[in-house]
Amino acid sequence: MNLAKLKPGQKGKITSIGSIGPLKRRLMDMGVLVGEDVKVLKVAPMGDPIEVSIKSYNLSLRKKEAEGIAVEVAG
Amino acid sequence: MSNTQLKYKDDEQAAGGTPAVARTITVAVAGNPNSGKSTLINAIAGTRLHVGNWAGVTVEKKEALFEFGGRKIRLVDLPGTYSLSPYSQEEIVARDYLVHERPDLIVNVVDATNLERNLYLTVQIMELGIPVVMALNIYDEAQEKGYRIDVKGIEEMLGVAVVPTSATKKTGLDELLKRVLDVADAGAGRAPRKLSYGEDVETAADYVAEALERNYPSLLERYPKRWLLLKIMEQDGQVLEKVNLPDQGFLEEALHHLKRAHGEDIESIMADVRYSLASGLTREILEKPELRQTELTEKIDRIVLNRFLGIPIFMAAMWLLFKLTFDLSAPFGEWIGAMTDGPFKRWASAILTPLGAPDWTVSLVNDGVIAGVGSVLVFVPVIFAMMFFITFLEGSGYMARAAFVMDRTMHSIGLHGKSFIPMLLGFGCNVPGIYATRTLENPKDKVLTALLVPLMSCGARLPVYVLFVGIFFPNNSSTVIWSLYIMGILLAVLMGLVFKRTLFRGEAPMFIMELPPYRMPSFSSLCVHTWEKGKHFLFKAGTYIFAVSVLVWFLLNLPWGVEHKRDSYLGQAGAAVAPIFEPVGFGTWEAASSLITGVIAKEIVVGTMGEIYAPKHGEEKKEIPTLQEDLKEVVTSFGEASVKAVKTLLYLPQPEEKEEDRGGLKLAIQGAFTPLTSYAFMVFVLLYMPCVVAIAAMRQEFGTWKWAGVGLLYQTALAWGAALIVYQGGRLLGLGG
Repeated sequence: MNLAKLKPGQKGKITSIGSIGPLKRRLMDMGVLVGEDVKVLKVAPMGDPIEVSIKSYNLSLRKKEAEGIAVEVAG
Repeated sequence: MSNTQLKYKDDEQAAGGTPAVARTITVAVAGNPNSGKSTLINAIAGTRLHVGNWAGVTVEKKEALFEFGGRKIRLVDLPGTYSLSPYSQEEIVARDYLVHERPDLIVNVVDATNLERNLYLTVQIMELGIPVVMALNIYDEAQEKGYRIDVKGIEEMLGVAVVPTSATKKTGLDELLKRVLDVADAGAGRAPRKLSYGEDVETAADYVAEALERNYPSLLERYPKRWLLLKIMEQDGQVLEKVNLPDQGFLEEALHHLKRAHGEDIESIMADVRYSLASGLTREILEKPELRQTELTEKIDRIVLNRFLGIPIFMAAMWLLFKLTFDLSAPFGEWIGAMTDGPFKRWASAILTPLGAPDWTVSLVNDGVIAGVGSVLVFVPVIFAMMFFITFLEGSGYMARAAFVMDRTMHSIGLHGKSFIPMLLGFGCNVPGIYATRTLENPKDKVLTALLVPLMSCGARLPVYVLFVGIFFPNNSSTVIWSLYIMGILLAVLMGLVFKRTLFRGEAPMFIMELPPYRMPSFSSLCVHTWEKGKHFLFKAGTYIFAVSVLVWFLLNLPWGVEHKRDSYLGQAGAAVAPIFEPVGFGTWEAASSLITGVIAKEIVVGTMGEIYAPKHGEEKKEIPTLQEDLKEVVTSFGEASVKAVKTLLYLPQPEEKEEDRGGLKLAIQGAFTPLTSYAFMVFVLLYMPCVVAIAAMRQEFGTWKWAGVGLLYQTALAWGAALIVYQGGRLLGLGG
């Protein structure tokens, strides 16, 4: 399961981050870390990007980037 | 950025004891984007801010020098960053400054409503060992939310001074500056606490420290020790390259245990450690109310980002932005144009003629200098208006939503969601469009967008279309004009794809963007920001524009007293380049000369054609108004402009404007062009090099001529190619030559 597949309102726990290099570092700097809880809030009107809530703030990222973030669905 | 190798000594000042009172205290201001850092700086420094670029990069640099409590303070605003990793220009600029320029202290602006992520940067800043004063900003909002923050607790745990502030309400600012002075006087004695990164990391760090002390002791004098150790452990490419360690064997040994216990990816380990510190601290000092009410931002976003309403709301916002930017400013631009054209020139003549100044001097002053100044000034209202509204969109939080809504569409042609706004503004005028690219964070996105903005057919090109379409396509005028706008857009898409595969090859920039809470930006901060940018345009870009318009005056009027425009330098230059335009259908000196003057502003093509094709013989004698009448006109017409601006906004009917009589010009053009060549000419005007103002804007924004040069060359080549296809293709299809 990855973050891009979660539906708005669904929550998950990050189990691994597949991307590498600057992208991974940027994600980690924004608080996207293994073990973190994440909730999908919205999908943009055109279907991409998505908005998630993490570390009590809201972050948007493209589905392509979200696909690299593996999650375990919670609730 | 200079690579000054300042000796780093931890206890220099603490040992010295007496702080030098006369010395200027250098304060670097660091913080997350959306932490209210800009507003804080605007509130403290106001119009004393000096805006420029960091050397060699497209990142904005703001500085201010002022006195507080009898002491001189130099404030240096670092780019807003989430981290000090080496992956974005902003982060590199910020950390290079902190490491190499070593400010006396750092003011770390922290968003009190978003402590955890903000403290992640704080943890990294503390690694540098420079004294830190934390501005706990947006404190008022945090209180309204019912957050209880243990300010003393942060001070004790981190060993930094903490001052709650609200930049928008201007509270806590004096206290902040007082603490800055206190800490500066205490010197390195107030260095922040060294935070423990856990046993495994610390053991590895000690190992690295020993190895460095043994083999490279000079390194530890050049860089802050703790920071250097951690960066070497993280295998930070930029740092490793700079320190150039011949033997990195010790590093493998140092990290061996750490990697075995925590996994291979050392960057992840370090990010985890730092975030756990930030999270732990947040848990200790922050108490949130149990019941969380639905926040305003959520309510607004339910509508603004709604699946069905999102796009219509975005369109409406863009329409409003466009209308406010251009309609509101246009009457004032026209007013400035009329003033420099009328009264100012008359006054100059009135002063110069009695002094016995020769005709050519009067003409140089009037048509060269004053016209040149005028061509800069007419842009001031539109630039100010655009900056004001763009800053509002950014500060309010809507800009991020606009990017969110548009990203899918823009990404398909290799651009970022935020590229839409500069492109849209480009239809009004390319210059504010280019300036608006500053809202993009990634330099690749920024430059690519700015290169494509001039393909949007701006308002200045319309008079050229109107003139030609009126003569050659009176029955399909709107279709023909529409086709030009569409052509510009299609070519922008095409060029976007081409650039992505050539100049901007490599990994596509990522889209990882915070959607900050909606906030009402403070009016005074908006004004300060607008003024900074407007001033920048006026003096920096203005110089180039002015120089070119004076140059064109020389071309047009020299050798002095030329009877026929054909013999002026401009005519000669036109004749010289005319053969280039032979294959595209308008290889005449007249057309070529008009295109040359059109580089000042594309609508000037029409004016030059008027002078060349239908010169006025015998200036009609007009009553010359007196000084008093002129002064009165200056004032009343400004009033009229204000009324007009308001009326346009409210859609009130306006008196019809008199149209200039262009009968002679129309006849001449009818003889010189055919429908096909006129269309090729319009295509060329649409696409060829951006006007001087747009080029100056690019030079200004990117701090180098490189991208302005690329724009100039590719567009002119594109224009020629497109006109060639139109003309030759049209002839093949039998549309006549």
